[in-house]
Amino acid sequence: MTSLLDTVSMALSTLRSNPLRSLLTLLGIVIGASTVVAMMSLTEGFRLKVTKDLAQLGAGSFQVQKWPVMSFGHVDWQKYARRKNLTRAQGEALRDLPHVAHVSIEAWNPGGEKLWTRERATKPNVQVAGGLPDYQYANYVVVGQGRFLSDVDLKLGRRVVFVGADVADLLFPGEDPVGKELRIRSTPFTVIGVAERMGTALGIESRDAFAVVPINVFDQALGRPKNHNLAIQATSPEDVGKAIDETVATLRRLRNVKPGDDNDFEIFTNDSVSESFNSLAAVVAAATFGVCALALLVGGIGIMNIMLVSVTERTREIGVRMALGARRARILAQFVVESTVLAALGGVGGVLLGAAVAVAAREIWQVPSSIPAWAVVLSLVSASGSGLLFGIYPAARASRLDPVEAMRTE
Amino acid sequence: MTPDGALLSLDGITRLYQVGSEVVRALDGVSFDVQRGEWLAVVGQSGSGKSTLMNIIGCLDTPSGGVYRVNGHDVRGLADDALADLRNHEIGFVFQTFQLLPRSTALANVELPLIYRGLPRRERRLRAEAALRSVGLADRMHHRPNELSGGQRQRVAIARALVGEPSLLLADEPTGNLDSATGEEIIRLFGELHARGHTLLLVTHEPRLAARCPRAIRLMDGRIVADGPGREVAAFGTAPVVTA
Repeated sequence: MTSLLDTVSMALSTLRSNPLRSLLTLLGIVIGASTVVAMMSLTEGFRLKVTKDLAQLGAGSFQVQKWPVMSFGHVDWQKYARRKNLTRAQGEALRDLPHVAHVSIEAWNPGGEKLWTRERATKPNVQVAGGLPDYQYANYVVVGQGRFLSDVDLKLGRRVVFVGADVADLLFPGEDPVGKELRIRSTPFTVIGVAERMGTALGIESRDAFAVVPINVFDQALGRPKNHNLAIQATSPEDVGKAIDETVATLRRLRNVKPGDDNDFEIFTNDSVSESFNSLAAVVAAATFGVCALALLVGGIGIMNIMLVSVTERTREIGVRMALGARRARILAQFVVESTVLAALGGVGGVLLGAAVAVAAREIWQVPSSIPAWAVVLSLVSASGSGLLFGIYPAARASRLDPVEAMRTE
Repeated sequence: MTPDGALLSLDGITRLYQVGSEVVRALDGVSFDVQRGEWLAVVGQSGSGKSTLMNIIGCLDTPSGGVYRVNGHDVRGLADDALADLRNHEIGFVFQTFQLLPRSTALANVELPLIYRGLPRRERRLRAEAALRSVGLADRMHHRPNELSGGQRQRVAIARALVGEPSLLLADEPTGNLDSATGEEIIRLFGELHARGHTLLLVTHEPRLAARCPRAIRLMDGRIVADGPGREVAAFGTAPVVTA
């Protein structure tokens, strides 16, 4: 133990005596370690955020869509494009299923709309949906002011709109928006309610820039959409499985899917969304590890190079140490420890840099990030490991020197 | 290991080097003993084999033939590690060029042999301080070699050689890099060490230095050509010649 401590303090003092060179040598290692920590922090941050967002969406609901919500790799978009649209009639047919509590049939305008008043206008990025009163339950909208859409609004075809917090803030700053008028394209709507602020989805996209109008009014103002999304709330979280089975069976029948064929629609539960996110995260992780491995390889070769230089420069010192009674194994250990300590310092620097990037991402750019402990440990271990590995050859050269010859070198 | 036996015992030591296709006999049957407490010089011109002899006596090299015992240990067939341990315990080296580690303080330099002996930090520190005091460097312990004069550097080297309490202090041209006044100082220090009971072996090409030693051995072409009182061996030709 004493000898290990001695060797480590010996290594540290050598590195201190050559700070610039040590620093330059470490760049590769620093880059590798910081990449892992920064990328894993971002991925982890997104993962936590997705999990939290999904939990907010509630456990008892699921969505039916024509299009996949998230995918990567090769996607046969043609296959999805050939699918029949989801119609309102199909959605209505799900209402009577035993384990279905609410069916929210939603018409979405792809892209966004500009909402405006005589004084002000939003950017053209507001998501406008045509919906039913069920929208509120299936999407967990909490009413902040006023009220949500009612059956009467639909029956009478009232031009009313329920808006997200961003829309209310932009168009009616410092005012009570309820009862005020706004326009979507050329159609005037009366604001009946404002949602509580929901924050951002995945830290990027505001979830408060939306507006919901009665679905039949949506047709008049924005054109009748062919395809719809369905958000379904089961009778209880335990019944989600049964509700999905019933929904799938009903939709297959209505859409004439032959037995044995795949569903021609997508079902998303929170689990399936987080699953696809996790597989995306796995791809990011694999890519990061690739980059990291490369950086560690380059960094390791840099360390080997500098250690070979160091052995040459310190040939006399090695000879003296041997003359004074250092065994070959001690010389070997000294140089291996030195390169390991050097690389470990690089690892520490990389972790700090990566953590700084992660914190900056969170604090300055509001991108979610969370530094996972395992990424820190992994960075430190792999950085030190590369120092150890690439230090062996120079150290072995040092330990094989002949003391007499070594002391004679200039 | 017998207490009354010789500290160093060389018997028919040869050392051959292969240079190209030729075999060079750097040492050709060297035999002599060194008793505890002796102070002797090995003197000779360059190429006489004295460096080779010093390396063998210092356990940095092993002989091609003959028997060498240091403090009773036969070095024949010893592995590198065993030789390192033997150097660490039995030999204290003083080199012509001091061979101090430039980035380490005097104290750290003196501690080195004790690190390789595996002594705990505190004990190392105490012993190194004592060794530096004994060579008159109590106030220079935390200086680096480049902050010390030549004579002070050689004193640090001597302290480093003494700190492990070796059986033999082996010095290679210890005054070779010093001006004559400083060299004189170092020689006086050797005299003191001898008086304190240390065994000293100096390797030098300077007859004047050999003349100061009670005993000297003169090497020529790898053989001993003189062995006797330093003054007589230094003035080679007039001394009684004892051939091996």
